[in-house]
Amino acid sequence: MKLALAFLAALAAHFALRAAHLWWVLAAGQPLLLVVVAAARARPPVATAWMGLAVGLAIDLVSGRVIGPGGIAGAAAGAAVSLLVRRLELEGPLFWIVGSLAAAACSEGLWFALLSTLGVVPDHGWLGLAATVAMTAAIGLAVATVERGVRAWRSPERARRRLLKRL
Amino acid sequence: MASLRLRSDLALVVICVGLYVGAAAQVRSGRHTALSLALGALAAPVTAAANAVGSFWSLVWLGERGLSETIAELGRLRAEADELRRSNQLLTAELAALRQGSQLLARFPALAEYAVLARVQSRDVVLTHTMLIDRGRADGVRLDAPVLAGDGLLGRIDRVSDRSARVQLLTHPAAAAAVRIIGVAAEGLLVGGDQPSITQLPPYTEVPAEAAVVSSGSEGIYPPGLVIGTTGEGTTRGLFTVAPVVLAARATDTMVVLVLPAIGQVP
Repeated sequence: MKLALAFLAALAAHFALRAAHLWWVLAAGQPLLLVVVAAARARPPVATAWMGLAVGLAIDLVSGRVIGPGGIAGAAAGAAVSLLVRRLELEGPLFWIVGSLAAAACSEGLWFALLSTLGVVPDHGWLGLAATVAMTAAIGLAVATVERGVRAWRSPERARRRLLKRL
Repeated sequence: MASLRLRSDLALVVICVGLYVGAAAQVRSGRHTALSLALGALAAPVTAAANAVGSFWSLVWLGERGLSETIAELGRLRAEADELRRSNQLLTAELAALRQGSQLLARFPALAEYAVLARVQSRDVVLTHTMLIDRGRADGVRLDAPVLAGDGLLGRIDRVSDRSARVQLLTHPAAAAAVRIIGVAAEGLLVGGDQPSITQLPPYTEVPAEAAVVSSGSEGIYPPGLVIGTTGEGTTRGLFTVAPVVLAARATDTMVVLVLPAIGQVP
């Protein structure tokens, strides 16, 4: 349920980041890939790959691209991120930053490779690839910051400190 | 009857192979699905909300700056300045768009009768190299119609619905236009990408630096004589001379565009 809500929020963010009144660099970000990273935290690689498949297909659909290569790339990225997170035992901010970086790099790299086998001209070049990886990692950093803030806000230590202040 | 139990990982691989085959079929057929069109309609309110937030932020920024200047200059008229600031905030964004629109119409007076003035709703100049405008088939916008900004040609319409259309920018890797360099006899082909460049020029063609590049109209999409940009230093690669082009129109700053009638649309 949480992942479904995250997916909808990421979908809205995907459209919002491309709005004409916002800074154009933001459009390079792929917030939907962060749903795959979030899934990698608690799910095994195969389940994360399924989530990656769904997210990749959604990216294909909303970007007006050929439907399929993004799904395959997303599935591979999901499995890769899940394995990487388990292998390196990533947690906290590092989980989001490395996870989003790996998801974006893996997804974009494989997407490029698949398109070249289909004989399709990709809608962006190497510069776009680099921008996507950088901006997706930046969104991952933002999510990590928000998560840290929320945890600090809800922490028992903070509750104790507030209680002690009232005494 | 034998029962077949499909493992999750194998099912994933099978689906991926199926998707690949499906993608290859889509590439050959080249048609858009009804789902993608429906999704475009669903995305419109989200984009509008994000535009409102972005617009609000820029207005607040402009308003804050205007307010501090006003307070420094006219401290005793704070209440009046507040009122002026509020109306100024509302008008600034509108004015910028109108100014771009009127400049466009003033630059191309001959086209004003048939051309359609449109606002940019969303843009993606990094990945898909496209922008969405608020005029569509109902307003006379047709597929392959050339799209102009104040400084020059931006691209062409590559997808159109009733109330909106998508512009493929000249920076799109698949974009191409027949062009002429002022001072060079031969015609070339502008191809898009991160660095748009002119190819197909005869080998060892002398390309003057910063010469104007205009459309020649040979490809049957863009009318001749539209400003595209300026040349960089030309080099001979293989059979052709290649010259990089600095595009005149900046898609990142454009808020209003002029959509020309597609070739054959106007008698």
